[in-house]
Amino acid sequence: MIERASHPSIETLALHSAGDMPLFSGWRTRYHVAHCAECEREVQLFRSATAELKREASAETLTGFEAIADWPSLEREMVGNIGVGVDAARCIEGVGSRRPVVVRFALAAALLVLFAAGWVTHIPSEQTQHLIATLRSFTGFERPVPMGTVLRSTPEGIAVRTQGATLTILHPRSAVVSLSGSSAVAARYVDEDTGQVTIANVYGQ
Amino acid sequence: MSMGSSWRAFAFTAISLATAGGAENGGQWLGVQFPSDSPVLFVSFNMGPSTVRPRGVSMALDLHASLMLRNVGNKPISGLTLRVEAEDLKASGKGSVIMPSLNVQPGEVFPVRIDMELLRPFNVPKSDSALVQVSLDCALFTDLTAYGPDKLHSRRALLVFELEAKRDRRYLAKLLEDDRLPQLREELNFGLQDLNPQQLGLELLRAPSPDSRGERPLAVSPVSFRSSPVQPLRGAAQVAGNEVRGPRVEVQNISRKAVRSIGMGWIVRDERGREFVAGSVPSALNLAPVATASMVEPGTLRFSRPTGQPMMIGGLMAFVNDVEFADGKLWIPSRADIEEATSDPVLRRELASSPEQQRLTEIYRKKGMSGLSEELRRFAPGSN
Repeated sequence: MIERASHPSIETLALHSAGDMPLFSGWRTRYHVAHCAECEREVQLFRSATAELKREASAETLTGFEAIADWPSLEREMVGNIGVGVDAARCIEGVGSRRPVVVRFALAAALLVLFAAGWVTHIPSEQTQHLIATLRSFTGFERPVPMGTVLRSTPEGIAVRTQGATLTILHPRSAVVSLSGSSAVAARYVDEDTGQVTIANVYGQ
Repeated sequence: MSMGSSWRAFAFTAISLATAGGAENGGQWLGVQFPSDSPVLFVSFNMGPSTVRPRGVSMALDLHASLMLRNVGNKPISGLTLRVEAEDLKASGKGSVIMPSLNVQPGEVFPVRIDMELLRPFNVPKSDSALVQVSLDCALFTDLTAYGPDKLHSRRALLVFELEAKRDRRYLAKLLEDDRLPQLREELNFGLQDLNPQQLGLELLRAPSPDSRGERPLAVSPVSFRSSPVQPLRGAAQVAGNEVRGPRVEVQNISRKAVRSIGMGWIVRDERGREFVAGSVPSALNLAPVATASMVEPGTLRFSRPTGQPMMIGGLMAFVNDVEFADGKLWIPSRADIEEATSDPVLRRELASSPEQQRLTEIYRKKGMSGLSEELRRFAPGSN
């Protein structure tokens, strides 16, 4: 005889009755129910109640289906409702919408004027011309000018490039970069490890 | 080239790198060559954190080599230039590492660091020779004689650096001797790192630029040193934004000696009025006494700030940095010449900024006045 305290909970029995228990705990509950007449009765009650609910549900669905069987009248009602909605939307369309559009336009214009004024007063004309030239080149209005770079310095080093290959002589960021010949650039720095002043030179042809 | 062969190339290089540490000559990618009669010989090297890795369709060789060299001659070495050549770029460009202000006694071993990056496409065929070749270009001795093939004309540069170093050591030692410590501290930037020479970015473009939009003529202002045997007279350049195109300067030899070459220095003023010494360009120019000539720099120079932002050109100045006479002797401006040349203390500091001044400033910053004093004594005549 199994003590009541060790019976599965009502919720567990309900799940078991519908076959919704996980594998291991479902097996344990099934074992218990097979040896416990009280729980078996509870499970039977759940199953019969579920069957009753299903029957009622199918009966209600049938009733609902019969209620909407009159399609022409339902269609007229829906079209009428849509028409009312569309008319109402048209009525309120112009109310209060023109003012935000005007305000937005004025705000955008003011920002544009402010941006243009800021650009004219703060950005050098050479950079503006450079930007325009770049945009024209980018959009295809103008062919890019072929200007081969022989040498280029960066904060990390001086580079010479050809046919996809690049040689960069590296230097610390503190290096002083200067021109050292018609086609040579140098970086001068004091080596942290040796304390020796070093000049890295790169020559283009 | 297929992806498979790209990876084979990468794997080959990676294996070369892995075995380089134990190789005598750096394996397949670094070769060090010195002539047998060279006064400097290669002792050993350390590859440090060198790496090789694929970058897109290329192989990126990040080389950080520390070479140990020995002075096997019988004269002290005061300067050295090592030529750095990449096999793939021999026709287009090369690099060098110059070590001025040395004081390497016979038998002494000294280090030279080479930090470089080589980016080469995988599909470029590889020959049997090393990817990067390091060789001796010139060694300058303390008696101002030199050894080496001098393919990069580095003997002249080393000579100018050595004369500047002697001038600056003499000047600072005199300040120390006269106990003019405030002036000495000012010369050494008060030991502050922030007062180091101003930095700029440079880009050298193929000349001449076919795009003349926005181009305007700009007069080049001459800066004269009183004792200079060659004086700049006038000049002009075309300027467009941050580009200087084809600058030219007219110079006159006011000495009684024939001149073989001139190192023309350039100062650039930005749109805010700040001045930067852009560098010195040596050019061969045979100039008889009293004769005048024009020095033209072909090509276009593009200036930027260290951050990469374009630096708009507001003005351009030229000065004679050094003069080589037909007899091989060299002239450089004295400290008095630099003092008198301009009233602008920032420009004066820039003009006086030599490699030796930079080295001694760093010693003062790290070791103080006693360290500087000791270093000046080490180079004093008769100290060795």
